[in-house]
Amino acid sequence: MMTNNPGKELQNLRNSVGMTVALISFGMMFATLFLGYFLVRSNAPTWPPVEISNLPMLLPFLSTLVMGLSSFTYFKLEKDASHRKHFWFATMALGISFLVLQWNLWGALKASGILVSNGNVPSMVYAFTWLHAAHIVMGLMLLMWLGHYLFRKPEAVTALTLLNVGKFWHFLGAVWLLMYLMLFVL
Amino acid sequence: MAFVEQHIHDEPKTFWSKYIFSFDHKVIGKQFLWSGIFWLLVGGLLALLIRWTLAYPGVPFPVIGNLLFPNSGGVVPPDTYAMLFSMHGTIMIFFAITAILIGAFGNFCIPLLIGARDMIFPTLNMLSFWFGFGASVLMIVSFFLPLGAAAGGWTSYPTLSTNLGQPGAGQTLWLISLFLFGVSSTMGAVNYITTVITLRAPGMDYFKMPLTVWGLFLTSILNAIFVPVLGAGLLLLTFDRVFGTTFFLAGAAATSGKGDPILFQHVFWIFGHPEVYILILPAWGIVSDLLSFFARKPAFGYKMTALSLSTITILSTVVYGHHMYTTQMSPLLTQSFMTLTMLISIPSAIFFANWLGTLWKGSIRFTSPMLFSLGVVFVFGLGGLTGLYLASTSIDLYLHDTYFVVGHFHYTMAASVLLGGFAGIYFWMPKMFGRMMDERLAKIHFWTTMIPLNGIFTGMMIMGYAGMHRRLYNPFIYEFMQRLIPINTFVTLCAIAMGLAQIIFLYNFFKTIFGKNIPQASANPWDVGTLEWQIASPAPYYNFKEVPVVKCGPHEFGNPNLKDGRDFQYQTEELVKP
Amino acid sequence: MDISFSERLIGMIAEGSSLLAKANDTMSFWERISPPEDISTSGHLIHWLFAYTTYVNLFWFAILCAGLFGFSFLYASRRHKKALYTHGNEKKHLMITAFIGLAVFLSVDMVITKVSSRDMKEVFWNFPEDNADIIKVEVLAQQWAWNFRHAGKDGEFNTGDDVVELNNLVVPVGKKVMIQMTSKDVIHSLYIPNIYIKADAIPGRFAKLWFDTTKTGNFEIACAEMCGNHHYLMKAKLTVLSQENYDRWVNESQANAIATNDTENMDLRWGWKWGSK
Repeated sequence: MMTNNPGKELQNLRNSVGMTVALISFGMMFATLFLGYFLVRSNAPTWPPVEISNLPMLLPFLSTLVMGLSSFTYFKLEKDASHRKHFWFATMALGISFLVLQWNLWGALKASGILVSNGNVPSMVYAFTWLHAAHIVMGLMLLMWLGHYLFRKPEAVTALTLLNVGKFWHFLGAVWLLMYLMLFVL
Repeated sequence: MAFVEQHIHDEPKTFWSKYIFSFDHKVIGKQFLWSGIFWLLVGGLLALLIRWTLAYPGVPFPVIGNLLFPNSGGVVPPDTYAMLFSMHGTIMIFFAITAILIGAFGNFCIPLLIGARDMIFPTLNMLSFWFGFGASVLMIVSFFLPLGAAAGGWTSYPTLSTNLGQPGAGQTLWLISLFLFGVSSTMGAVNYITTVITLRAPGMDYFKMPLTVWGLFLTSILNAIFVPVLGAGLLLLTFDRVFGTTFFLAGAAATSGKGDPILFQHVFWIFGHPEVYILILPAWGIVSDLLSFFARKPAFGYKMTALSLSTITILSTVVYGHHMYTTQMSPLLTQSFMTLTMLISIPSAIFFANWLGTLWKGSIRFTSPMLFSLGVVFVFGLGGLTGLYLASTSIDLYLHDTYFVVGHFHYTMAASVLLGGFAGIYFWMPKMFGRMMDERLAKIHFWTTMIPLNGIFTGMMIMGYAGMHRRLYNPFIYEFMQRLIPINTFVTLCAIAMGLAQIIFLYNFFKTIFGKNIPQASANPWDVGTLEWQIASPAPYYNFKEVPVVKCGPHEFGNPNLKDGRDFQYQTEELVKP
Repeated sequence: MDISFSERLIGMIAEGSSLLAKANDTMSFWERISPPEDISTSGHLIHWLFAYTTYVNLFWFAILCAGLFGFSFLYASRRHKKALYTHGNEKKHLMITAFIGLAVFLSVDMVITKVSSRDMKEVFWNFPEDNADIIKVEVLAQQWAWNFRHAGKDGEFNTGDDVVELNNLVVPVGKKVMIQMTSKDVIHSLYIPNIYIKADAIPGRFAKLWFDTTKTGNFEIACAEMCGNHHYLMKAKLTVLSQENYDRWVNESQANAIATNDTENMDLRWGWKWGSK
């Protein structure tokens, strides 16, 4: 079977352009969710509406911290070539703990009587976090793929691979920050 | 951005790697073409069933009626009718037109026309096809569910498309299938955009690209930006159906919570209006090129055409509200959408003027691709001008959701795109399969398509003006529409004629590809100077042995300084000066 | 071909021809394709704008066809051997195309934008005041029927004297009718062909609409938005009565309503306070 093994310069170009275009696509999807949020919010008589008056606050705050920390460890992973594997482990661990925290968040929401079918705003809280978590899973898969190369063929890991995985991971962090601010803080 | 040279790899040897899981952009393009033609036939059959029901309500569909609807003696039942038009729209827009115009021509033409050896992400390209294939399989499966396929219209507005109106799993499959198709389109778009940005041959500036590539490039940009918007909407609606969220449920029927069905319409049309241009831009690009190629004259105002197309692309993103006038948005919004919509006619008129300018004082060769291109100019003229009625808020009060709308969007999206697609197939056939299609049959195909086609869609607009609204199983239970029975019958007869005319195309197409004793086409049968015509027909694996260096524009015809009896120049040649 | 098919074919032809016979055979083509009779005070605005757009469109389409067919004839390769070598990017060419673009915009788009904005502002969005002498009707759309509610004697909706009609909207001629509308289940659209208007009935929202009739008689109301399998059956009647007959109808049905309305049955009290959002 044919494999594509283009020159380094080509890889440079195609990855940076391709990843940017792909992130625009992902961004538009999340932007649509946020548009829905703003429409709902502008039509709501009071904010926060009664359905979510007792939202759990600690868990999403922890998630945000974890996400921010993982962005930081990935940043170090990119910069610090000597401890690359350590930072890879740290990022993976933080990413997985983010998912665990989200899982707990859904449980806590349920426990405090906020169900998916309770109306528009609870629907949003659930659907947004679901979709984001699904993307985190994709991000973790990218990290695994990166890890595979880090441990097996470290010489194949170019600055560009790191940059691209990083772009995606930081993007997810930024989306989460926005979601956190919109759903839980403001 | 600088050009980068791709390496040449060994040709795949096995059947599977060569024809099924191929990384080659030409094979993937052909896969899209085959699947597109298959879906075009399915969609066409659905259209005929719809037309039959409208003209002869309660009369069994001839020949295959009993096979399709055994429980009702061959008559289309009302619930099936709703399914028919919903699936007709979905299939034609996504699985037929998108697959042929963007999937097939996008894949086949972009690398060839810009002088690249393949797409930049061959694996992504293959995945794009197989995601699209998965989507089509799901769509086929949904036909065989106990409650049938989705029946809420191709727009699937909630709350009709929630569990309340569509209890069957067909609607859920529809949503998932379209989501997969969206993933496929987005993958394709990322690939096309990156390919055009990074893989243009040396010397191929943006303003030396053939207009086909311009059309496909702009389409891909719209795809990359707006298909994810639809994706989000589809996911939310899926959540409503499967997990019990309440984004779009409202009114007495919503047992709890209070969503907003209009939110879906906003999301749908933010995507949906650009989608119209996603479909038509490649056809415009192809037509702009072909008019110049066969008028043997440089494209008139090339830069202006490219810029008009770009302007339309930008404008198309801010006019979506004109699909929603009757939902009573705020007057300010409604009026802004109307004004913005009207602005589109400036760039449209400009490129129409350029098309006519290309014909002016040309030396026109009426080959089949040219006939189809001229057909596009005619039908898109009609389609574009009738859009003006619908853009106006007050006329729309009357015409909204009538057959006038149906006629209008079929002229723009179906007729123009279909004719543009045929033009492309006839034109690139030698490069795709190495053989020329039969010109005489192609011309018969053109006239037998063109005449009934205008009968159908003009007839629809006339009925719409007379007040007949859309998606009615039997319009004639309304007294004021009974006078339209003869016109409905006429439209149906035209539709049958047009459907039969496609047999000519199919015969020609299959005969050319599989027939015996068909001569091999020469490398450049049309005397055209763009890059793909400098290599052998069919295009060899990895296209260009030597990466071409581009020195002049794509439409250099009739240069009086040309000496050797040719009237065109290859793009790799220095522009001849006196 | 089996017998059942030929039988069916005969039946089909017979049925088709009987349907054809039902349509008025004496109608001319123009009568067939003209829009339904205008019985409103606002319909002429739509007629005028439609006609204007048609004339200007025909003009531009004629130019397009002249170019398309004329050039195809004049410059066919057998007649015109050598094409002119021009890229169409000289100043005069750009001026001409830009001029055409602007001319189309100014002659059609500008005019229809202006006129339809004016019509919308002055007529279609110019809803009558609540305290004016108008007929108020609340409409509830459902799969697949229209419910029309008149306030009755007390002028208050959702009380015991409300007159509720199924699939029949009764209004007096020459009086402004104001409609508030919502839907119980899916999106519907109230479409009155003879008045040339429509508005979507959307669950969870109130749509409004007003019209004024000029002619008595029975007309049709349809649902224009796809609302399910029996969308085509969602048909109602518009009964336009003379003021005198209308008053009689109101009195009768009111008395009837007071006598028969079950005020305990909450299902019947789907009305809402006039003007609520």
